[in-house]
Amino acid sequence: MNAAPLAVAGAGERRALRFLAELSQALAVSLDLRQTLQMAVTRIADFMQAEAASLFLLDHAGLIECRICVGPVDITGLKLAMGQGVVGRCVAENATQIVRDAGKDARVNVRVDAETGFVTRSILCAPLANAHGPFGALEVINRRDGSLFDDADAEILRLAAAPAALAIGNAQLAHGLVQQQRIKRELELARRMQKSMLPRRRRGDFPLFGVNLPAHEISGDFYDFFDLPDGRIGFVVGDVSGKGLDAAFLMVRVASMLRWVGAQAPAPANWLAKVNAELCGTLQDGRFVCAAVGQYDRASGRVRLASAGFPPALLHNAEGFEELPADGPPLGILAEADYGEREFVLGQSALYLFSDGATDVRTGATQRLGEAGLRGLIARHAGLAPEARLRALLGDLKQLHLVDDTTLLLVQEPCGAQSHGLLDLEFPAQAAQMRSVRAALRHVLDAQGVGPELRDRLVLAVDEACTNVIRHAYGGECQRRMALHVAREQDMLSFELRDEAPVVDPAGLQARDLSECRPGGLGLPFIAATMDDWRLEPMADGRGNILRMHKRIDGGEGE
Amino acid sequence: MNATGNVCRSEDLGGYVLVVVGGEVDLSWSQQVRDAILAALGRCDGVGVELAQVTYIDSSGIAALVEGFQTARGRGRRFGLVAASRQVLAVLQLARLDKVFPLFADVESARAG
Repeated sequence: MNAAPLAVAGAGERRALRFLAELSQALAVSLDLRQTLQMAVTRIADFMQAEAASLFLLDHAGLIECRICVGPVDITGLKLAMGQGVVGRCVAENATQIVRDAGKDARVNVRVDAETGFVTRSILCAPLANAHGPFGALEVINRRDGSLFDDADAEILRLAAAPAALAIGNAQLAHGLVQQQRIKRELELARRMQKSMLPRRRRGDFPLFGVNLPAHEISGDFYDFFDLPDGRIGFVVGDVSGKGLDAAFLMVRVASMLRWVGAQAPAPANWLAKVNAELCGTLQDGRFVCAAVGQYDRASGRVRLASAGFPPALLHNAEGFEELPADGPPLGILAEADYGEREFVLGQSALYLFSDGATDVRTGATQRLGEAGLRGLIARHAGLAPEARLRALLGDLKQLHLVDDTTLLLVQEPCGAQSHGLLDLEFPAQAAQMRSVRAALRHVLDAQGVGPELRDRLVLAVDEACTNVIRHAYGGECQRRMALHVAREQDMLSFELRDEAPVVDPAGLQARDLSECRPGGLGLPFIAATMDDWRLEPMADGRGNILRMHKRIDGGEGE
Repeated sequence: MNATGNVCRSEDLGGYVLVVVGGEVDLSWSQQVRDAILAALGRCDGVGVELAQVTYIDSSGIAALVEGFQTARGRGRRFGLVAASRQVLAVLQLARLDKVFPLFADVESARAG
């Protein structure tokens, strides 16, 4: 007697389960979300014997928009406010809504019926939600047989909403990733374009050297140098306030302007004044630009320099540092600003112009390197040739925590600091090679008058560097090549070890504390304890690494 | 001894094994030195490593000595370095291990110690 209704209910449940399982699967494997959702809404309408069904999603403005609709009246694009109508209330409350008799229910939005002639009798609406809350709704309207929706129907619609919400969430995630990739590619392009604006490094004994290190993909810093018709060299270094894309665009504009005005070889004070006047008329949102401009006459050794709010330039020679403060406010603030300028003989001194990124480098959680710290670094590398010194400085700054774009421009005559090579060896990455490498190195160091104790330590440090390359960069002995270059410049010995191994992350290299007794990891501490400085960099083309180590020797007598 | 001048041989002195090492101890064969030291510790209560003829030692050679020292301590055995050359002492100092290893001038004092 009682078996028949149960069997009917059982069959209905099985049908519902099969429907939900198929729907979940179709949504899970969805490639084209729009098409899949269209199909899903159609199937839901069919299964639930509904005259119409639709899917709504919250848009960025907080309105709930009909995105998919099946049925006699197309309401795609219809927008409802949060809480408005059955759908609005469903999303606002994140709760399924049942309207058994639409004619008597205040929740029902009567406008659509009035406009279309459609007669809404019964409505079911279930929210689409994720962990962060509701973001849309599924709605079905009117049973085709004229009967009303019941609680069992509401439950089925609620269950059908879950895989639909999941599929939409996944698709949005995938879309977000694609967007991110695209932005990353475009930033990389912007970075390359900016980099291409920097002047090329000049070969030979050119007296200007610049480096620019963006804190992120793109930079608000720039530097430039160019030959003037009268034989002097014009130079510019600048820092646009703020970070990000707008600062980078402004940098491009200001760099062009400074180059354009500078090409006429005006007095530096006028040069700044002209660009300032132009910028004051066009800059917005309180932006400004710090810049230093100047000309260097190699024949007379004279430098003319003017600075608009740029950090004080540093003039360094054997007697110490001289600070050259700014000659006026940053560009783009005061249209009538007046700029001073200074003139001096460079001689054997080095002129450093650096953006505040160089002194804002963090040496601890909150500690800045500061100008004193930067002076310390400059003094430490004073024995190196200008370009090598700039690279060494940059290496030091990179090892600290860079928080802002950093630019260094160095003006110095390179003469008298000629580097000459002592040893060039190329050999396969095999431990058995090291014996003859060490012998060659000992020979060279002896010839340079390096004392036996320091000689042995230098040989050990270079040997450890080589075996580290063999063991860690190459992952074991192999036929790949490595090259050792040893050079001397005044009292500074430099060792360069190049390999062709995959790029090693320098951040992962830390000399361990020697106070604990354990067998491994001694190589780096040996290098760190022997050399004045060392650093590992990827090769410019990203294929291989270059380890640079320096050691100052006193008067050729060793330590 | 081979063409490189590298030496690693174990001398059984009756209750004491002396591992005699010479030449340039580097990554290419320091494993042999390690194996010889560990083998000696496996069969004898007292082991010395003679380093008088070592003209060079790198971190992998030092690591072999440290491993021998730690193994000996773990098993309650005696372990010492004998007649370490100037070059070996310099690297031990650099690694701050000169105060860690028992250092002996000759094999007699190593056996007595």
